[in-house]
Amino acid sequence: MSGFLDDIEALVPALRRYARALTGNADWADDLVQDCLERAIAKQSLWRPIGPLRPWLFRIMINIHRNDRRRRRGAPEPEALDLLPFEPASPAPQGARLALAETAAALDRLPAEQRQALLLVALEGMSYAEAAGVLDIPMGTLMSRIGRAREALRALVDGTGPRLRSVK
Amino acid sequence: MSDRHTITEADLNAYLDGELQPAERAAVEAYLADHPADRERVAAWRDQSAALRALYGHVAEEAPPARLSPRRLAAERRRRMRRAVTAAAAALVLVAAGGAGGWIGRGLVMPDAVETTLIGEAEAAHALYTPEVLHPVEVNGQDGAHLSKWLSRRLDRTLVIPDLSSEGFSLVGGRLLPAAASAAALLMYENRDGARVTLYVVPNAGKETAMRFSARDGLAAVSWQAETLGCVLVGNLPRETLLNLAKASYGSLDKAPNI
Repeated sequence: MSGFLDDIEALVPALRRYARALTGNADWADDLVQDCLERAIAKQSLWRPIGPLRPWLFRIMINIHRNDRRRRRGAPEPEALDLLPFEPASPAPQGARLALAETAAALDRLPAEQRQALLLVALEGMSYAEAAGVLDIPMGTLMSRIGRAREALRALVDGTGPRLRSVK
Repeated sequence: MSDRHTITEADLNAYLDGELQPAERAAVEAYLADHPADRERVAAWRDQSAALRALYGHVAEEAPPARLSPRRLAAERRRRMRRAVTAAAAALVLVAAGGAGGWIGRGLVMPDAVETTLIGEAEAAHALYTPEVLHPVEVNGQDGAHLSKWLSRRLDRTLVIPDLSSEGFSLVGGRLLPAAASAAALLMYENRDGARVTLYVVPNAGKETAMRFSARDGLAAVSWQAETLGCVLVGNLPRETLLNLAKASYGSLDKAPNI
Protein backbone atom coordinates (compact mmCIF):
# COMPACT_ATOMS: atom_id res chain seq x y z
CA MET A 1 0.00 0.00 0.00
CA SER A 2 2.68 2.47 0.99
CA GLY A 3 4.66 1.58 -2.13
CA PHE A 4 1.57 2.29 -4.19
CA LEU A 5 1.02 5.64 -2.47
CA ASP A 6 4.65 6.61 -3.01
CA ASP A 7 4.40 5.71 -6.66
CA ILE A 8 1.27 7.83 -7.01
CA GLU A 9 2.85 10.72 -5.16
CA ALA A 10 5.73 10.80 -7.62
CA LEU A 11 3.21 11.39 -10.40
CA VAL A 12 1.27 14.20 -8.73
CA PRO A 13 3.42 17.02 -10.17
CA ALA A 14 2.88 15.79 -13.73
CA LEU A 15 -0.85 15.32 -13.12
CA ARG A 16 -1.09 18.88 -11.85
CA ARG A 17 0.80 20.24 -14.84
CA TYR A 18 -1.44 18.41 -17.26
CA ALA A 19 -4.63 19.38 -15.42
CA ARG A 20 -3.58 23.02 -15.35
CA ALA A 21 -2.99 23.06 -19.08
CA LEU A 22 -6.20 21.15 -19.73
CA THR A 23 -8.41 23.50 -17.73
CA GLY A 24 -6.43 26.74 -17.72
CA ASN A 25 -7.65 27.18 -14.15
CA ALA A 26 -5.55 26.42 -11.08
CA ASP A 27 -8.40 25.54 -8.70
CA TRP A 28 -10.31 23.40 -11.12
CA ALA A 29 -7.04 21.67 -12.02
CA ASP A 30 -6.23 20.74 -8.42
CA ASP A 31 -9.82 19.59 -7.88
CA LEU A 32 -9.38 17.29 -10.87
CA VAL A 33 -6.14 15.91 -9.48
CA GLN A 34 -7.69 15.35 -6.06
CA ASP A 35 -10.68 13.52 -7.55
CA CYS A 36 -8.28 11.45 -9.61
CA LEU A 37 -6.16 10.48 -6.60
CA GLU A 38 -9.24 9.59 -4.55
CA ARG A 39 -10.55 7.39 -7.36
CA ALA A 40 -7.19 5.73 -7.74
CA ILE A 41 -6.91 4.99 -4.03
CA ALA A 42 -10.49 3.69 -3.90
CA LYS A 43 -10.03 1.53 -6.99
CA GLN A 44 -6.65 0.23 -6.02
CA SER A 45 -8.06 -2.91 -4.41
CA LEU A 46 -9.78 -3.88 -7.65
CA TRP A 47 -6.98 -2.87 -9.92
CA ARG A 48 -4.55 -5.59 -10.81
CA PRO A 49 -1.21 -3.83 -11.16
CA ILE A 50 -0.30 -5.37 -14.48
CA GLY A 51 0.24 -2.10 -16.31
CA PRO A 52 2.21 1.00 -15.49
CA LEU A 53 0.70 3.58 -13.17
CA ARG A 54 1.15 6.73 -15.24
CA PRO A 55 -1.25 5.97 -18.11
CA TRP A 56 -3.78 4.59 -15.65
CA LEU A 57 -3.79 7.78 -13.56
CA PHE A 58 -3.99 10.02 -16.61
CA ARG A 59 -6.84 7.95 -17.94
CA ILE A 60 -8.77 8.31 -14.69
CA MET A 61 -8.19 12.05 -14.65
CA ILE A 62 -9.26 12.53 -18.26
CA ASN A 63 -12.44 10.60 -17.57
CA ILE A 64 -13.16 12.87 -14.62
CA HIS A 65 -12.53 15.87 -16.80
CA ARG A 66 -14.95 14.53 -19.40
CA ASN A 67 -17.69 14.02 -16.83
CA ASP A 68 -16.96 17.39 -15.23
CA ARG A 69 -17.42 19.07 -18.55
CA ARG A 70 -20.63 17.16 -19.05
CA ARG A 71 -21.86 18.31 -15.67
CA ARG A 72 -20.87 21.87 -16.43
CA ARG A 73 -22.54 21.84 -19.80
CA GLY A 74 -25.12 24.57 -19.86
CA ALA A 75 -23.36 26.39 -17.09
CA PRO A 76 -20.86 28.99 -18.26
CA GLU A 77 -17.37 27.68 -18.87
CA PRO A 78 -15.15 28.36 -15.88
CA GLU A 79 -13.09 31.48 -16.25
CA ALA A 80 -9.93 30.32 -17.93
CA LEU A 81 -8.05 33.53 -17.87
CA ASP A 82 -5.50 33.19 -15.10
CA LEU A 83 -3.16 32.63 -17.95
CA LEU A 84 0.04 34.37 -17.02
CA PRO A 85 0.14 35.05 -13.31
CA PHE A 86 3.82 34.20 -13.34
CA GLU A 87 6.98 34.80 -15.23
CA PRO A 88 7.70 31.78 -17.39
CA ALA A 89 10.24 29.68 -15.52
CA SER A 90 12.39 29.18 -18.57
CA PRO A 91 12.68 31.70 -21.36
CA ALA A 92 10.66 30.68 -24.34
CA PRO A 93 12.58 30.23 -27.55
CA GLN A 94 12.88 32.94 -30.13
CA GLY A 95 9.62 33.88 -31.73
CA ALA A 96 7.42 32.15 -29.18
CA ARG A 97 7.89 34.58 -26.32
CA LEU A 98 5.15 36.93 -27.37
CA ALA A 99 2.90 34.07 -28.32
CA LEU A 100 2.64 32.54 -24.86
CA ALA A 101 -0.57 34.23 -23.78
CA GLU A 102 -2.07 33.71 -27.21
CA THR A 103 -1.10 30.06 -27.13
CA ALA A 104 -2.80 29.63 -23.78
CA ALA A 105 -5.95 31.35 -25.01
CA ALA A 106 -5.94 29.37 -28.24
CA LEU A 107 -5.42 26.09 -26.38
CA ASP A 108 -8.54 26.82 -24.40
CA ARG A 109 -10.52 27.16 -27.62
CA LEU A 110 -9.57 23.75 -28.96
CA PRO A 111 -12.06 20.92 -28.73
CA ALA A 112 -11.34 19.03 -25.49
CA GLU A 113 -10.35 15.83 -27.22
CA GLN A 114 -7.73 17.60 -29.32
CA ARG A 115 -6.38 19.39 -26.27
CA GLN A 116 -6.20 16.13 -24.33
CA ALA A 117 -4.25 14.43 -27.12
CA LEU A 118 -1.84 17.26 -27.88
CA LEU A 119 -0.96 17.89 -24.25
CA LEU A 120 -0.18 14.25 -23.51
CA VAL A 121 2.44 14.27 -26.25
CA ALA A 122 3.69 17.85 -26.41
CA LEU A 123 3.60 18.67 -22.70
CA GLU A 124 3.89 15.30 -20.95
CA GLY A 125 6.27 13.84 -23.50
CA MET A 126 4.32 10.60 -23.91
CA SER A 127 4.93 8.38 -26.91
CA TYR A 128 2.06 8.03 -29.37
CA ALA A 129 1.53 4.48 -28.12
CA GLU A 130 1.23 5.55 -24.49
CA ALA A 131 -1.02 8.52 -25.26
CA ALA A 132 -3.30 6.39 -27.44
CA GLY A 133 -3.52 3.92 -24.57
CA VAL A 134 -4.44 6.66 -22.12
CA LEU A 135 -7.21 7.96 -24.37
CA ASP A 136 -8.25 4.48 -25.41
CA ILE A 137 -8.22 5.38 -29.09
CA PRO A 138 -6.36 3.93 -32.09
CA MET A 139 -2.97 5.43 -32.87
CA GLY A 140 -4.27 6.87 -36.16
CA THR A 141 -7.03 8.74 -34.34
CA LEU A 142 -4.51 10.10 -31.87
CA MET A 143 -2.25 11.32 -34.66
CA SER A 144 -5.08 13.02 -36.49
CA ARG A 145 -6.20 14.77 -33.29
CA ILE A 146 -2.66 15.99 -32.67
CA GLY A 147 -2.31 17.17 -36.26
CA ARG A 148 -5.61 19.04 -36.15
CA ALA A 149 -4.77 20.56 -32.76
CA ARG A 150 -1.44 21.88 -34.02
CA GLU A 151 -2.89 23.39 -37.17
CA ALA A 152 -5.78 24.95 -35.25
CA LEU A 153 -3.40 26.43 -32.68
CA ARG A 154 -1.22 27.81 -35.44
CA ALA A 155 -4.17 29.42 -37.16
CA LEU A 156 -5.40 30.94 -33.91
CA VAL A 157 -2.03 32.21 -32.76
CA ASP A 158 -0.99 33.53 -36.15
CA GLY A 159 -4.14 35.59 -36.14
CA THR A 160 -5.38 33.83 -39.21
CA GLY A 161 -8.48 32.95 -37.28
CA PRO A 162 -10.85 32.29 -40.17
CA ARG A 163 -8.53 29.55 -41.35
CA LEU A 164 -9.56 27.58 -38.33
CA ARG A 165 -12.76 26.85 -40.15
CA SER A 166 -10.94 25.19 -42.98
CA VAL A 167 -9.05 22.92 -40.63
CA LYS A 168 -10.80 19.58 -40.78
CA MET B 1 8.52 6.99 -47.29
CA SER B 2 11.64 7.30 -49.42
CA ASP B 3 9.58 8.98 -52.10
CA ARG B 4 9.29 12.60 -51.05
CA HIS B 5 5.77 12.82 -52.45
CA THR B 6 4.52 10.37 -49.87
CA ILE B 7 5.44 12.62 -46.94
CA THR B 8 2.17 13.43 -45.19
CA GLU B 9 1.17 15.78 -42.43
CA ALA B 10 1.11 12.79 -40.10
CA ASP B 11 4.75 12.11 -41.00
CA LEU B 12 5.65 15.69 -40.15
CA ASN B 13 3.97 15.38 -36.77
CA ALA B 14 5.63 12.05 -36.08
CA TYR B 15 8.95 13.56 -37.08
CA LEU B 16 8.52 16.39 -34.62
CA ASP B 17 7.47 14.01 -31.85
CA GLY B 18 10.44 11.71 -32.34
CA GLU B 19 8.29 8.80 -33.49
CA LEU B 20 10.19 7.98 -36.70
CA GLN B 21 12.89 5.43 -37.45
CA PRO B 22 16.25 6.89 -38.58
CA ALA B 23 15.57 6.17 -42.26
CA GLU B 24 12.14 7.79 -42.12
CA ARG B 25 13.56 10.74 -40.25
CA ALA B 26 16.18 11.25 -42.93
CA ALA B 27 13.50 11.13 -45.61
CA VAL B 28 11.45 13.80 -43.84
CA GLU B 29 14.54 15.98 -43.41
CA ALA B 30 15.33 15.68 -47.10
CA TYR B 31 11.74 16.62 -47.91
CA LEU B 32 11.79 19.62 -45.58
CA ALA B 33 14.99 20.89 -47.16
CA ASP B 34 13.03 21.33 -50.39
CA HIS B 35 9.76 22.53 -48.93
CA PRO B 36 10.10 25.80 -47.04
CA ALA B 37 6.37 26.12 -46.29
CA ASP B 38 6.27 22.79 -44.51
CA ARG B 39 9.58 23.59 -42.84
CA GLU B 40 7.98 26.70 -41.43
CA ARG B 41 4.95 24.74 -40.35
CA VAL B 42 7.05 22.24 -38.42
CA ALA B 43 9.00 25.09 -36.83
CA ALA B 44 5.73 26.71 -35.74
CA TRP B 45 4.57 23.44 -34.18
CA ARG B 46 7.88 23.12 -32.38
CA ASP B 47 7.43 26.64 -31.02
CA GLN B 48 3.96 25.70 -29.85
CA SER B 49 5.30 22.77 -27.85
CA ALA B 50 7.94 25.04 -26.34
CA ALA B 51 5.25 27.60 -25.51
CA LEU B 52 3.16 24.93 -23.78
CA ARG B 53 6.13 23.83 -21.71
CA ALA B 54 6.97 27.44 -20.86
CA LEU B 55 3.36 28.08 -19.83
CA TYR B 56 2.76 24.98 -17.74
CA GLY B 57 6.09 23.32 -17.06
CA HIS B 58 6.57 25.30 -13.86
CA VAL B 59 3.47 23.67 -12.31
CA ALA B 60 5.35 20.38 -12.05
CA GLU B 61 8.20 22.14 -10.24
CA GLU B 62 5.94 23.46 -7.49
CA ALA B 63 5.39 21.52 -4.30
CA PRO B 64 1.81 20.19 -4.53
CA PRO B 65 -0.66 21.47 -1.92
CA ALA B 66 -1.19 19.27 1.13
CA ARG B 67 -4.68 18.26 0.03
CA LEU B 68 -3.10 16.36 -2.86
CA SER B 69 -0.97 14.13 -0.66
CA PRO B 70 -1.90 10.49 -1.47
CA ARG B 71 -1.05 9.40 2.08
CA ARG B 72 -3.38 11.96 3.52
CA LEU B 73 -6.16 11.05 1.09
CA ALA B 74 -5.70 7.35 1.87
CA ALA B 75 -5.84 8.04 5.61
CA GLU B 76 -9.03 10.08 5.21
CA ARG B 77 -10.56 7.27 3.21
CA ARG B 78 -9.61 4.71 5.87
CA ARG B 79 -11.31 6.86 8.50
CA ARG B 80 -14.46 7.12 6.37
CA MET B 81 -14.50 3.37 5.76
CA ARG B 82 -14.05 2.60 9.44
CA ARG B 83 -17.06 4.75 10.28
CA ALA B 84 -19.12 3.00 7.59
CA VAL B 85 -18.07 -0.44 8.82
CA THR B 86 -18.93 0.45 12.41
CA ALA B 87 -22.36 1.63 11.33
CA ALA B 88 -22.91 -1.49 9.23
CA ALA B 89 -21.83 -3.76 12.09
CA ALA B 90 -24.25 -2.01 14.42
CA ALA B 91 -26.97 -2.50 11.85
CA LEU B 92 -26.23 -6.20 11.56
CA VAL B 93 -26.56 -6.65 15.31
CA LEU B 94 -30.02 -5.15 15.04
CA VAL B 95 -30.89 -7.52 12.24
CA ALA B 96 -29.83 -10.50 14.28
CA ALA B 97 -31.93 -9.26 17.16
CA GLY B 98 -34.94 -8.11 15.22
CA GLY B 99 -35.17 -10.54 12.34
CA ALA B 100 -36.36 -9.62 8.86
CA GLY B 101 -38.81 -6.92 7.95
CA GLY B 102 -38.49 -3.19 7.73
CA TRP B 103 -35.33 -1.25 7.18
CA ILE B 104 -32.37 -2.89 8.63
CA GLY B 105 -30.74 -0.74 11.25
CA ARG B 106 -33.53 1.79 11.16
CA GLY B 107 -32.23 4.99 12.61
CA LEU B 108 -28.64 3.92 12.33
CA VAL B 109 -27.89 3.70 8.64
CA MET B 110 -31.12 5.12 7.38
CA PRO B 111 -30.64 5.72 3.68
CA ASP B 112 -31.06 9.31 2.58
CA ALA B 113 -34.06 10.49 0.60
CA VAL B 114 -32.37 10.00 -2.75
CA GLU B 115 -31.48 6.42 -2.01
CA THR B 116 -34.91 5.69 -0.58
CA THR B 117 -36.47 6.93 -3.81
CA LEU B 118 -34.02 4.84 -5.75
CA ILE B 119 -34.89 1.69 -3.84
CA GLY B 120 -38.61 2.40 -4.30
CA GLU B 121 -38.19 2.80 -8.05
CA ALA B 122 -36.09 -0.34 -8.27
CA GLU B 123 -38.66 -2.38 -6.36
CA ALA B 124 -41.49 -1.06 -8.51
CA ALA B 125 -39.61 -1.91 -11.69
CA HIS B 126 -38.81 -5.36 -10.35
CA ALA B 127 -42.42 -6.02 -9.39
CA LEU B 128 -43.69 -4.84 -12.76
CA TYR B 129 -41.33 -6.66 -15.07
CA THR B 130 -40.15 -9.90 -13.47
CA PRO B 131 -43.58 -11.62 -13.73
CA GLU B 132 -43.73 -10.70 -17.41
CA VAL B 133 -43.53 -13.78 -19.60
CA LEU B 134 -43.64 -12.40 -23.12
CA HIS B 135 -41.68 -9.15 -22.80
CA PRO B 136 -39.63 -9.06 -19.62
CA VAL B 137 -36.94 -7.03 -21.39
CA GLU B 138 -36.58 -4.74 -24.38
CA VAL B 139 -33.20 -6.00 -25.47
CA ASN B 140 -32.31 -9.63 -25.14
CA GLY B 141 -29.29 -10.70 -23.10
CA GLN B 142 -27.79 -12.52 -26.08
CA ASP B 143 -27.22 -9.13 -27.61
CA GLY B 144 -25.02 -8.07 -24.70
CA ALA B 145 -22.71 -5.75 -26.63
CA HIS B 146 -25.59 -3.81 -28.12
CA LEU B 147 -27.35 -3.64 -24.77
CA SER B 148 -24.26 -2.29 -23.07
CA LYS B 149 -23.66 0.30 -25.78
CA TRP B 150 -27.25 1.44 -25.86
CA LEU B 151 -27.68 1.78 -22.11
CA SER B 152 -24.28 3.45 -21.74
CA ARG B 153 -25.30 6.07 -24.25
CA ARG B 154 -28.65 6.71 -22.64
CA LEU B 155 -27.21 6.86 -19.12
CA ASP B 156 -24.20 8.89 -20.17
CA ARG B 157 -22.01 6.39 -18.34
CA THR B 158 -19.92 3.45 -19.37
CA LEU B 159 -21.97 0.48 -18.29
CA VAL B 160 -20.29 -2.89 -18.09
CA ILE B 161 -23.06 -5.48 -17.89
CA PRO B 162 -22.16 -7.63 -14.88
CA ASP B 163 -21.59 -11.30 -15.46
CA LEU B 164 -23.31 -13.14 -12.62
CA SER B 165 -22.84 -16.65 -14.02
CA SER B 166 -20.43 -17.49 -11.19
CA GLU B 167 -23.47 -17.15 -8.93
CA GLY B 168 -25.63 -19.23 -11.24
CA PHE B 169 -27.49 -16.32 -12.84
CA SER B 170 -27.56 -15.57 -16.55
CA LEU B 171 -28.59 -12.33 -18.22
CA VAL B 172 -32.16 -12.22 -19.53
CA GLY B 173 -31.69 -8.72 -20.92
CA GLY B 174 -32.36 -5.12 -20.13
CA ARG B 175 -34.59 -2.14 -20.65
CA LEU B 176 -34.54 1.60 -20.28
CA LEU B 177 -36.87 3.27 -17.79
CA PRO B 178 -37.70 6.79 -16.70
CA ALA B 179 -36.46 7.61 -13.22
CA ALA B 180 -36.85 10.51 -10.82
CA ALA B 181 -33.87 12.47 -12.05
CA SER B 182 -32.83 10.79 -15.28
CA ALA B 183 -33.07 7.57 -17.20
CA ALA B 184 -32.53 4.25 -15.47
CA ALA B 185 -31.32 0.92 -16.76
CA LEU B 186 -32.96 -2.27 -15.60
CA LEU B 187 -30.99 -5.48 -16.08
CA MET B 188 -32.69 -8.79 -15.42
CA TYR B 189 -31.02 -12.08 -14.52
CA GLU B 190 -32.42 -15.54 -14.03
CA ASN B 191 -31.10 -18.74 -12.47
CA ARG B 192 -31.83 -22.36 -13.41
CA ASP B 193 -34.83 -22.44 -11.12
CA GLY B 194 -36.33 -19.43 -12.82
CA ALA B 195 -35.70 -17.07 -9.91
CA ARG B 196 -35.22 -13.56 -11.23
CA VAL B 197 -33.21 -10.68 -9.87
CA THR B 198 -33.04 -7.20 -11.30
CA LEU B 199 -30.26 -4.68 -11.16
CA TYR B 200 -31.48 -1.11 -11.35
CA VAL B 201 -28.84 1.44 -12.33
CA VAL B 202 -29.02 5.22 -12.50
CA PRO B 203 -26.31 7.76 -13.27
CA ASN B 204 -25.40 9.41 -10.03
CA ALA B 205 -23.02 12.16 -9.12
CA GLY B 206 -23.31 11.58 -5.40
CA LYS B 207 -21.02 10.07 -2.86
CA GLU B 208 -19.85 6.52 -2.55
CA THR B 209 -21.84 4.67 0.07
CA ALA B 210 -21.60 1.31 1.72
CA MET B 211 -24.00 -1.44 0.67
CA ARG B 212 -27.35 -1.39 2.38
CA PHE B 213 -29.68 -4.31 2.71
CA SER B 214 -33.40 -3.84 3.14
CA ALA B 215 -36.40 -6.11 2.98
CA ARG B 216 -40.12 -5.62 2.87
CA ASP B 217 -43.12 -7.47 1.51
CA GLY B 218 -40.99 -10.49 0.73
CA LEU B 219 -38.75 -8.45 -1.56
CA ALA B 220 -35.15 -7.84 -0.59
CA ALA B 221 -32.90 -5.11 -1.96
CA VAL B 222 -29.22 -4.31 -1.74
CA SER B 223 -28.39 -0.75 -2.67
CA TRP B 224 -25.16 1.14 -3.02
CA GLN B 225 -23.63 4.12 -4.76
CA ALA B 226 -20.29 3.72 -6.40
CA GLU B 227 -18.33 5.76 -8.84
CA THR B 228 -21.01 7.64 -10.71
CA LEU B 229 -23.64 4.98 -10.57
CA GLY B 230 -26.41 4.37 -8.10
CA CYS B 231 -27.39 0.69 -8.02
CA VAL B 232 -30.11 -1.41 -6.46
CA LEU B 233 -30.25 -5.17 -6.73
CA VAL B 234 -33.72 -6.54 -6.04
CA GLY B 235 -34.86 -10.11 -5.65
CA ASN B 236 -36.95 -12.54 -3.69
CA LEU B 237 -33.90 -14.44 -2.50
CA PRO B 238 -32.05 -15.28 0.68
CA ARG B 239 -29.97 -12.46 2.02
CA GLU B 240 -26.64 -14.23 1.49
CA THR B 241 -27.38 -14.97 -2.16
CA LEU B 242 -28.42 -11.41 -2.81
CA LEU B 243 -25.33 -10.00 -1.11
CA ASN B 244 -23.07 -12.26 -3.18
CA LEU B 245 -24.81 -11.12 -6.35
CA ALA B 246 -24.46 -7.50 -5.25
CA LYS B 247 -20.74 -7.91 -4.64
CA ALA B 248 -20.25 -9.54 -8.03
CA SER B 249 -22.23 -6.71 -9.69
CA TYR B 250 -20.27 -4.07 -7.87
CA GLY B 251 -17.00 -5.63 -9.02
CA SER B 252 -18.08 -5.66 -12.69
CA LEU B 253 -19.57 -2.18 -12.73
CA ASP B 254 -16.49 -0.75 -11.12
CA LYS B 255 -14.32 -1.98 -13.97
CA ALA B 256 -15.81 0.62 -16.28
CA PRO B 257 -13.76 3.78 -16.67
CA ASN B 258 -16.48 5.89 -15.11
CA ILE B 259 -15.68 8.56 -12.73
